[in-house]
Amino acid sequence: MHAIEMKHIIKSFGKGIGKVSALNDINFHADYGQLIAIVGPSGSGKSTFLAIAGGLLTPSSGEMMIENQTYHNSSAKDREQVRLNKIGFILQSYNLIPYLTVEEQFRLVDKVKRTPNLNPEHVQQIEKQLGIDDLRKKYPDELSGGQRQRVAVARALYADPKVILADEPTASLDSDRAFEVMRLFKELAHTTNKAIIVVTHDRRLAQFTDQIYEITDGRIQQLESA
Amino acid sequence: MYLAIKEMKHAKLRYSLIMFMIVLISYLIFVLTGLAYGLSESNRQAIDSWQADAIVLNSDADSHLSQSVITKNQLAKLKSDDRLAQLGELGVTARDPKGHKKVSSELLGISKNQFIYQQLTTISGRKFNSQHEAVVDKSMYDSGYRLGDEIYLSSDSPAYKIVGFTKDAKLSVAPVIYTSLSDWRDIKFGATSDGQVSAVLLKKNQLNQKADDLDQLTTEEFINKLPGYRAQNLTFGFMIAFLMLITLIIIAIFLYILTMQKLPYFAVLKAQGISTKYLVKNTVGQSILVTVSGVLVGGGITVLTAIGLPPAVPITFNYPLLAGAACLLVVMSVIGALIPARTIVKVDPVSMIGGN
Repeated sequence: MHAIEMKHIIKSFGKGIGKVSALNDINFHADYGQLIAIVGPSGSGKSTFLAIAGGLLTPSSGEMMIENQTYHNSSAKDREQVRLNKIGFILQSYNLIPYLTVEEQFRLVDKVKRTPNLNPEHVQQIEKQLGIDDLRKKYPDELSGGQRQRVAVARALYADPKVILADEPTASLDSDRAFEVMRLFKELAHTTNKAIIVVTHDRRLAQFTDQIYEITDGRIQQLESA
Repeated sequence: MYLAIKEMKHAKLRYSLIMFMIVLISYLIFVLTGLAYGLSESNRQAIDSWQADAIVLNSDADSHLSQSVITKNQLAKLKSDDRLAQLGELGVTARDPKGHKKVSSELLGISKNQFIYQQLTTISGRKFNSQHEAVVDKSMYDSGYRLGDEIYLSSDSPAYKIVGFTKDAKLSVAPVIYTSLSDWRDIKFGATSDGQVSAVLLKKNQLNQKADDLDQLTTEEFINKLPGYRAQNLTFGFMIAFLMLITLIIIAIFLYILTMQKLPYFAVLKAQGISTKYLVKNTVGQSILVTVSGVLVGGGITVLTAIGLPPAVPITFNYPLLAGAACLLVVMSVIGALIPARTIVKVDPVSMIGGN
């Protein structure tokens, strides 16, 4: 069973002469414990790929599955539940609510999610692993860029999702910090057995991944593994 | 509500400012409501206390009690009935023998055998039962009059003795002085007194006998035609309505600006699976919390104001009415919050993907 799978996904926008094809017959899967990078130039379809994978967009055709369960044609409410329970999103920015401390960012997940999240021991372990265990009482504006992204990773892991989708998570970080975050992703994918998919334009990050795919003009192809 | 409370705690100054605005507006609304109600009551208290269903006036009086004179012959056209009560009215300046405590008052003559007198209750002293005795509104006590005091109602009238105080006896914002019809006629008509009255009140909304030269109005119609009564109520009504509207606009603008600032975060939260309903509930909850807190503080200041105000100020705090105004403010806050809530519904989490 794949953690996440796309079968013959096509996504186009507009109609008639203005029709734009963003994704063409995408077949893709990610397994548990894998860190996968999706690379490609601007406008290649990476964002559309991520939005469909995360259930934020519905494909024009094709099948989208998470843990063998299709959800591309689910209701908006059901897709919300899938995102809440099975997918962790890490975005380039605005990941953390500015008026919540680090520990309150986690508590917010408790407030909205009915199924259990990580237990306190597990949370402590992840906080230590991410090096944020002494930041629990801090607000986001008291953290550095790297610390903020690490807290965002912890926040995404807290709900114990099967899949983590990261959109340019290192874009606002310098090279050292970016590599540190990628090393962390690799470690987490292997130790927590999650499928982590990182969309990035930075090909240097490929060295940390288990598989690398490239999207060009809406078509995906697997590149030689790093 | 978790997000709502956390944000309010974090941005205390920001939310204190909006709460302060609500405090001021709610205080203004409460005071205006109190004034509107107090003035309205001061106009109509005595009329309400009669519990009459209709009033008969001379048709030439244009529905004004002070202009109406019903003659003995006209009265004869109305059958005598225990559901009728004759009333004499005269605006007078009451004064003590030394002329120090002058009070503009409404002198009302009533008959001992009819329902106004029978329903009249005193809070101290007794009802009048002989000539030159009067029962006066309790506000006369605040003007310095006491039981047994002598009072002059016109330059050539004999002294009247205050034998009782009654409450809720104001007519056209002036305290009422109840005396007998014959005493009233003596003061108003003197030697020409011939059984006239100003009006006849009816318990049943039906004249026993039609009379061409008499008009019959329901009590509510009569009250609405009291000089200035309707204009005054409309003025206060408009002021209160505009303040309610201002509250709605302030809350809507304030929350709209805050919501626009938070939209990227809402988009990310939606991407993370947090429902739009949860985010809207938090915004509406914030609005309710701010408004309820502001209204409670405004209410507290209103109570303190009520304690400190001199009795001469025609303000009456009718708590059910104030509670109604407070509820209306909360409703306005919910409507105000629903305007920015539309932007939360519309924000697309996809917009946050791709570093936008």
